[in-house]
Amino acid sequence: MPVVELAEVTKAYENKVAVSRLSLSIQAGQMFGLLGPNGAGKTSSIRMMMGITGPDSGAVRLFDKPFERASLDRVGYLPEERGLYKKMKVIDQLVFFGELHGLAAAEARKRAVTWAERLEIADALEKKTEELSKGMQQKIQFIACLLHDPGLIVMDEPFSGLDPVNAVLLQDALLELKAEGRAILFSTHRMDQVEKLCDSICLINNGEAVLSGNLREIKGSYERNRVIIEFQGSADFLSSPEIAEARNYAGHAEIRLQPHGDAQKLLHQAAAMATIYRFELVEPSLEEIFIQTVGGKANA
Amino acid sequence: MRNFLLIAKREYLQQVRGRAFKLSTVLLPLGILAMLSATYFTGRNAHGDRHIAIASDSAALAEDMRRQLLDDKSAHYIVDIVAPATEADLAALRLQIRSKSVDGVMSIDHSINGAPIATYTEQSVLDYGTSGHLKYVLNRSLLQQRLAISGLKPAEAEALMKEVPVETLEIDKQGKAAKSTGMAGFTKAMVMAFMLTMPILLYGMDMARSIIEEKSSRIFEVMLAVCSPEDLLTGKLLGVGAVGLTQVAIWVGATALLTGSALAAPLLSGNFSIHFSVMEAILFPLYYVLGFFLYSSLFSGFASTCETAQELQMFMPAAIVPVWVSFAVLPFLLNNPDSVWAKVLSFIPFTSPFVMLPRVGLEAVPFWELGVSVGLLVLSIWGTLWLSSRLYRVGILMYGKRATLPEIVRWIRYS
Repeated sequence: MPVVELAEVTKAYENKVAVSRLSLSIQAGQMFGLLGPNGAGKTSSIRMMMGITGPDSGAVRLFDKPFERASLDRVGYLPEERGLYKKMKVIDQLVFFGELHGLAAAEARKRAVTWAERLEIADALEKKTEELSKGMQQKIQFIACLLHDPGLIVMDEPFSGLDPVNAVLLQDALLELKAEGRAILFSTHRMDQVEKLCDSICLINNGEAVLSGNLREIKGSYERNRVIIEFQGSADFLSSPEIAEARNYAGHAEIRLQPHGDAQKLLHQAAAMATIYRFELVEPSLEEIFIQTVGGKANA
Repeated sequence: MRNFLLIAKREYLQQVRGRAFKLSTVLLPLGILAMLSATYFTGRNAHGDRHIAIASDSAALAEDMRRQLLDDKSAHYIVDIVAPATEADLAALRLQIRSKSVDGVMSIDHSINGAPIATYTEQSVLDYGTSGHLKYVLNRSLLQQRLAISGLKPAEAEALMKEVPVETLEIDKQGKAAKSTGMAGFTKAMVMAFMLTMPILLYGMDMARSIIEEKSSRIFEVMLAVCSPEDLLTGKLLGVGAVGLTQVAIWVGATALLTGSALAAPLLSGNFSIHFSVMEAILFPLYYVLGFFLYSSLFSGFASTCETAQELQMFMPAAIVPVWVSFAVLPFLLNNPDSVWAKVLSFIPFTSPFVMLPRVGLEAVPFWELGVSVGLLVLSIWGTLWLSSRLYRVGILMYGKRATLPEIVRWIRYS
């Protein structure tokens, strides 16, 4: 059962089509990456999922039902533009957001304390929000969107502005939530995080999905034409007809194969001339796929 | 709890706990009190502490005028006499006015034979109190002199000229003639108008300010993922409105305690005994609430189209002008609460709270007029809210710049 589903969704603003016939669906227990250059339509798509704006055409379904506001009680949303009430005490703020999502005040307080301890920010609970650093505010916002135990978690650039230690803290929390069966969508242009965390992706450009599906399958569908060889002995195999381009850094060679070049043949040729320590057919990185797919088409 | 109630509760608690609320609760009544007492005392001493020179061809007339002026204990006159006065004396006196050693010069010619000519020269022409008083004193003295010349004894003349006091009565709401409340009526009308205007404007502005603040802190994106824009706006209006109502309740409570105490009895007796009727006790909160909703829903709409508090300034006249008009007509209203202008203004929604309530304090307003006034207010609140919530829905997610008029029109049609 998809937790969230966009079917042929289109949204146009005055003179620009922000999202065009976009379809995607996210299952429970899935971590989904929404990728795209700036201005591609990521935030517009997310806003439609949250009912902040409505689609011009197409349908949004949450928890296998047509969109209704009541479903939002089961969604946690961390927008790209973080916002908290500056003059409010952190704990009061968290309780307020919990109550808005239908929790009783006492329960919200209890959960807020637990989460704050887990994210190592319990000291901040009694402070006013404006007294906190940006990173701390972000952790508070993170808690605010998880307090009500949502079935769907939507995060727009969740790790931006966090130091590596805190980013790992949040990543671990997200992985745990995923293991508990929650659907998680996050939008980003940090490809390394997507590669590490996401099962599925949708890459959008100019409001249209240009690439979507299971991350492994997508990567598998791209030809593996890069090879790294670490060796000792003669480097003559580098002139093999299988190779289009090669760089040799004293025993470490980075190779691009010819189209339809055969990596296995190359391995045999190399092994005949030198001692091979490492032979790796490298998958294209998501970043390469991104650049290759979006190419010069991005406006950003 | 429903979302809009949670939002209202948050707004209310945040504000009531804040310093601004505590300060304004104390300072605002003090301000009004200071203003009223300033009006009262300057009015009382309007023609006091004046240094007057009387230049007359008759020393007796001048002496008599001086006696009368000095008899008036509420005013403090210093009176010089130059009699009989020559042209040179007058020129010297005029120099004294210029050098400000005297405030004014009264010169009288042909006082005994023929038609007297009197002129009063003063530093400014704005001192109506003093010139009026001098005119009265001069005519009284002249009359007394003429009576003496025609052979009347001073005591007989005095008796003839004895003033008859006039008691002012007014028809009260039961239709009986009762002692006029005079100054008390005026004071009450002023207090009521202020106690309505201040919180309505202050909290209306507060609404606008906080919308802009929330817009700039980007909180709306988070809030809108939980509740509808209507919930947000309603909650905010209710919360801020309740803050204002709390403040008014504190003031009314404090006033009741104060007037109930023994200390207040001598202070508030006589001209200052102010009584509030049951009708006023019902209408005051009603008009407060309606006035607040009207102005703050208007301001919310304005604020949604703005990016900074500076941009909001542009819309200030919309708030200031109706209040201005209401206060400008207040004196006429006190004169004649039944006049056409008073009636018209007590129907127009943007002025009705400030005009109708003082009217109710002064006369028996027919029920149908109250009904129409409240009805029109409710209708226009509905209309303003409809418009503002449309602007709000779109405006709170539009960052970057102030909306232009065509954009605003599009927003209204769009949502």
